[in-house]
Amino acid sequence: MNRASLHFLLAALVAIALPLFMRSGTLASEVLIFAMAAAACNLLLGYTGLLSFGQGIFFGLGSYAAGLTLLHTSVPLALALVLSAITGAVVATGVGWLSIRRQGVYFVMLTLAFSQFFYFLAYTFKDITGGDNGLLNIPRPAIGPFSLGESWTYYAFVAVLFLLLFAALQRVASSTFGRTLLAVRDNEERARAIGFPVRNFKITAFAISGAVTGLAGALHALLIGVAPLSNIDYHMSESILIMTIIGGTGNLFASVLGAGFYVIVSDLLSSIWPRWLLLLGGLLIVVALFMQKGLWGLLERLVEALPMGRKSSINSSIEPPIQPESEGRGI
Amino acid sequence: MIYLFQLVNGIGLGMLYFLLAVGLSIIFGLLHFVNFAHGTFYLLGAYFVYDMTERGLNFWAALLVAPFIVAGLAALTESVLLRRIYHLPHTFHILVTVGLALMVQELVIILWGPVGGNVSTPGALSGVLMLGDFIYPQYRLFVIGLTLVLAIGLWWLLEGTRLGAVVRAGSESTDMVSLLGIDILRVNTAVFALGAGLAGLAGALAAPIRGVEPFMGVEALGIAFVVVVIGGMGSYTGALIAGLLVGIVQSIMTTLWPEGARLMIYLGMGLVILTMPRGLLGRA
Repeated sequence: MNRASLHFLLAALVAIALPLFMRSGTLASEVLIFAMAAAACNLLLGYTGLLSFGQGIFFGLGSYAAGLTLLHTSVPLALALVLSAITGAVVATGVGWLSIRRQGVYFVMLTLAFSQFFYFLAYTFKDITGGDNGLLNIPRPAIGPFSLGESWTYYAFVAVLFLLLFAALQRVASSTFGRTLLAVRDNEERARAIGFPVRNFKITAFAISGAVTGLAGALHALLIGVAPLSNIDYHMSESILIMTIIGGTGNLFASVLGAGFYVIVSDLLSSIWPRWLLLLGGLLIVVALFMQKGLWGLLERLVEALPMGRKSSINSSIEPPIQPESEGRGI
Repeated sequence: MIYLFQLVNGIGLGMLYFLLAVGLSIIFGLLHFVNFAHGTFYLLGAYFVYDMTERGLNFWAALLVAPFIVAGLAALTESVLLRRIYHLPHTFHILVTVGLALMVQELVIILWGPVGGNVSTPGALSGVLMLGDFIYPQYRLFVIGLTLVLAIGLWWLLEGTRLGAVVRAGSESTDMVSLLGIDILRVNTAVFALGAGLAGLAGALAAPIRGVEPFMGVEALGIAFVVVVIGGMGSYTGALIAGLLVGIVQSIMTTLWPEGARLMIYLGMGLVILTMPRGLLGRA
């Protein structure tokens, strides 16, 4: 079995295992929704080397797009979701096009500033977005003959979409396009010198990432029946990024691990201690100092430590090299 | 008259933004370190003043002490933790500083509660200045005056002293400076503490104007990034001009279209990036 099939199998196992181990269908859906968002973030961070603080923009706009369409029109659910994905892709193309004009830290700061811009945009135009209150009472219509009213049937719907998108992102990552993104990540100047249209590749990566994140945002709005302002704020971008990095940036399944860990742990801890973010902050520092390949790296080490350790099949060949920062280079 | 009022307001706000952002800019120039915890120093400066005045300490004493505590904490963090990660890619700088910012924000909520509070304007400056039709709060004039003096002092420190020369040389080539026998690690810590202390002072000065709340650090971080992006990374003059520009635009906008004030700042930043990708005065 090749690596991609193994990772898809692992993702499918997660989608099947969540209902067996979790009581709340809402929480289980949330895991998969953020797994999509984190995998989309990983396409930028792990594969292209772009650390985007703007993922919350696409997530939030996806929520608003789905909410507005379902509140004000009677289009089918599928169309509303497609619209959200398109919104995410279009805005991501714009944000990407502007942000990649600068590299490295400047790029990160630009994406963060854009995320603030869209937050204040949503906050300012209260008539459209509901401002602080968010868009309320978003309906969750049936898809074809299937009613999605019950939380586990909605989970099943999310799980199917999750697996489809996961497979699609895997296809993207293993295509010539995806391989070229790795070349851009590892040495942008070389990729450009060879003759790859690096700018277009980066913008395309942004568009794909934005589409998937927008769709995830739409699914989240449907899940909770609200498109809240918090879906587009700084902390949403931050959370998606944290999930991606905690999981590990080497492969797409790592993002599923990261999202699952973040969502489940935050649910457990926040009920015990509202200030649990203190621990999360500490964990981020620990990850940066001691677990630079994230949870996936940890898993790899565990598997290798097993007596029959299958070193070759699980080892990822595309781990980003952790090397000293050379001046002026990308992230 | 309302525009003159807002213009002066904008200058005061802009000078605070300058204090807030200049440290971020210099730290990046010297250490190539991106600090997502920079807003935290602003947050701490404001809360230290809030806490000390709540305990009955004189505002002026609090204003004097708070930035030094912030600078001390920053120096400690730099030498214990951050120094270990300079060699790692930017991703890990961001991860660690985002983690630090989260921890401090939660600590602030634990210690002082989630709501925040107000810091009363010091008695001697609680009045207004009247020049004919022009009426202006004295405290805000004091802020403008003090920040101007500090800006000049900082310029002298960077351009006219040995430390400044080392900092400027370090921005060009850290390795060369170390080869010349200068203890660059100590310079790094000093510069980091200086930048953090200035951000802390900006927070402390802003506290009587805007009050304190636990999420002001995130907001300040966004503003600092805009100032640095517009002004150009690593540029003192750029930070000054961009800080004033952002402050004045924001103030004038509060008269014209209050809801859109912060929107305009980020829009302006987008425009600068489109037309001048390096910012007003940034180097390559």
